[in-house]
Amino acid sequence: MEVAPDKTAEVPIVAAVDERVPSIGEYWPRYKQQAAIITIIMQLIVASVVSMSLFAGGVPFDSPVSWITLLATFLVSVTLNLYLVNILLTPLRDMVSVLKSTRGESLSEPLANPNTPRYVRDGFTPVLQSIYDIASEKQKPNTAIAPDSLAPVLKAALHQTKMGVVIMDAHGVITFSNDAAPVSDDTSGGKKLNLLFEQEDTFMNWLQNCHDNAVHAEHTWLRIADRIVGDENRRIFNVTANYEKGSAAEVVLSCFDSTDIYQPEDNELDFIAFAAHELRGPITVIRGYLDVLDMEMEDSFAPDQKELMKRLIVSANRLTGYVNNILNTSKYDRRHLILRLGEESLTTIYDTINDDMALRASSQNRLLSVNIPADLPTIAADRSSLSEVISNLIDNAIKYSNEGGAIAVSAQVKDGFVEVAIADHGIGMPANVVGNLFHKFYRSHRSRETVAGTGIGLYICKAIVESHGGKIGVTSVEGEGSTFTFSVPIYATVADKLQANDNTNAGLISHGEGWIKNHAKYTG
Amino acid sequence: MPINTILVIEDDRFIGEMYVRSLQHAGYTVDWVVDGHDGLVAATGKPYDLILLDIMLPEMRGPDILKAIRGKEGDKLPNTHIIVLTNFDQDTESRIAMQHDVDAYLIKAEITPRKLLEIIANLGEKAAPKA
Repeated sequence: MEVAPDKTAEVPIVAAVDERVPSIGEYWPRYKQQAAIITIIMQLIVASVVSMSLFAGGVPFDSPVSWITLLATFLVSVTLNLYLVNILLTPLRDMVSVLKSTRGESLSEPLANPNTPRYVRDGFTPVLQSIYDIASEKQKPNTAIAPDSLAPVLKAALHQTKMGVVIMDAHGVITFSNDAAPVSDDTSGGKKLNLLFEQEDTFMNWLQNCHDNAVHAEHTWLRIADRIVGDENRRIFNVTANYEKGSAAEVVLSCFDSTDIYQPEDNELDFIAFAAHELRGPITVIRGYLDVLDMEMEDSFAPDQKELMKRLIVSANRLTGYVNNILNTSKYDRRHLILRLGEESLTTIYDTINDDMALRASSQNRLLSVNIPADLPTIAADRSSLSEVISNLIDNAIKYSNEGGAIAVSAQVKDGFVEVAIADHGIGMPANVVGNLFHKFYRSHRSRETVAGTGIGLYICKAIVESHGGKIGVTSVEGEGSTFTFSVPIYATVADKLQANDNTNAGLISHGEGWIKNHAKYTG
Repeated sequence: MPINTILVIEDDRFIGEMYVRSLQHAGYTVDWVVDGHDGLVAATGKPYDLILLDIMLPEMRGPDILKAIRGKEGDKLPNTHIIVLTNFDQDTESRIAMQHDVDAYLIKAEITPRKLLEIIANLGEKAAPKA
């Protein structure tokens, strides 16, 4: 139990406070001292009244009874009253300490805690809390920058930050940009945005859409570069655009320079491209010389030697396909897979892989039958990519079927698309596997154990088909076989879009991955 | 116009020999140079029916050779077919640019000599070389 502590002489050091305003710190010790003195004087008066009463009652001054009573009364009442005063003054002390601390004066006592049991009990907690709240609100202007001095500070901050800031009016004209912003001077004396969106008009379309339909809007584009690959000082941004109709800064673009994140990936992509080049060299030689040997020695091989040659050739051919899958996957994942869609006939495309597929099937004892009607309409396709899809699917059918199994490739017209089906009578798969089938690196539990593979074949098939604007799917019955189907648009249905879109065909792609750039350069 | 004479610009010895051997076997007259500079000199010094052009070449790269032949100064070899044969995974813009100026753009690893012979035969059957 603490009785008015005798620290009253300690006056806290007051720093950085205007001299004309007396510090709060000086108030509290003085007030506490006064309270103690007044209390003691009061008790002296009480004691003297008691002694007067005793005297009037016939007790002489020099009687021990008189002195003892007097002393006891004085001591007890002083003690009790000082204790009372201390209890009564504690809330005041705490309020003062809060104000002291918020004014930046140093504290000689611990900072008041509004959640002490006593305050919680007697309900003082919200009072003290309110003082804290009011004090901290009032304090803000002291540390924040006054509005009239804000402009130069903001300017300096915009100058320093690594984030590009571009402010535009409703028409997309740049009214402000900071040093880090990806902008350059244009020919008419204004500024233009140097951001290579997936389509040249991606951003302006968004802005137009906001202008027509939105009050406020926000959109983020990831991985937008300011220059093309290979240029020095190329930066890659994550760009967030905020639109606020009628605001002084109607459009604000925040360009977060994320080159550090994306550049290593791009370097990795270069690495993969070079690695693929290195791998393709020996594959070319192996395939080429096998072909030369096969051509020149065909007649002198014994039948079993011919079979060995066939296996060598098939294996080397498959290797080529895997290198392409790796390359395509790496490009697709980094959003660099660009297809060039032109008018093609499915028959022509299949012809490019026909020999390879026939050899592959026969060397593994599968019966491959191909039935592509001659009168199919032409399709909008990238020849080599689509042939990779077909060969991946046939490869799959071979993998997941048994010796002697039949594999049928067929095609038909369906709702403006040409639909190609690759059916096998192999092991099939349960329904729960189908959903994951086109995911990267997905391999069903069973196939992990029994069939070799990387799990990127179907993933890249889906990527390629969808970037043609088509769809890929599968129906399967466990134990009976699977049928993979994919569709690509009939050329006539998309020719206008392909040609009107300045060699790009974003209009074809109906799914969410709008970034795939399809260059449709019609050279027919 | 049938194709008789072929220039192979290819720095890889194994691959170069492979093409030369199979092309000669099929009856073509073949010259082979191993660097880009010699390639351009040979291409412009003698009228070939077909040039097989690599991309990654010492001295002068394939795209630069192509520019020198079919660049801004017009087509210097209007009677010559050009096929790009490469294993390099060019970025798409450059690939499309090259594709525009050549008869075919092929990945070596995907084209066996037999297929190449087929493609050349088809090219020769076409009415006239592209202008």
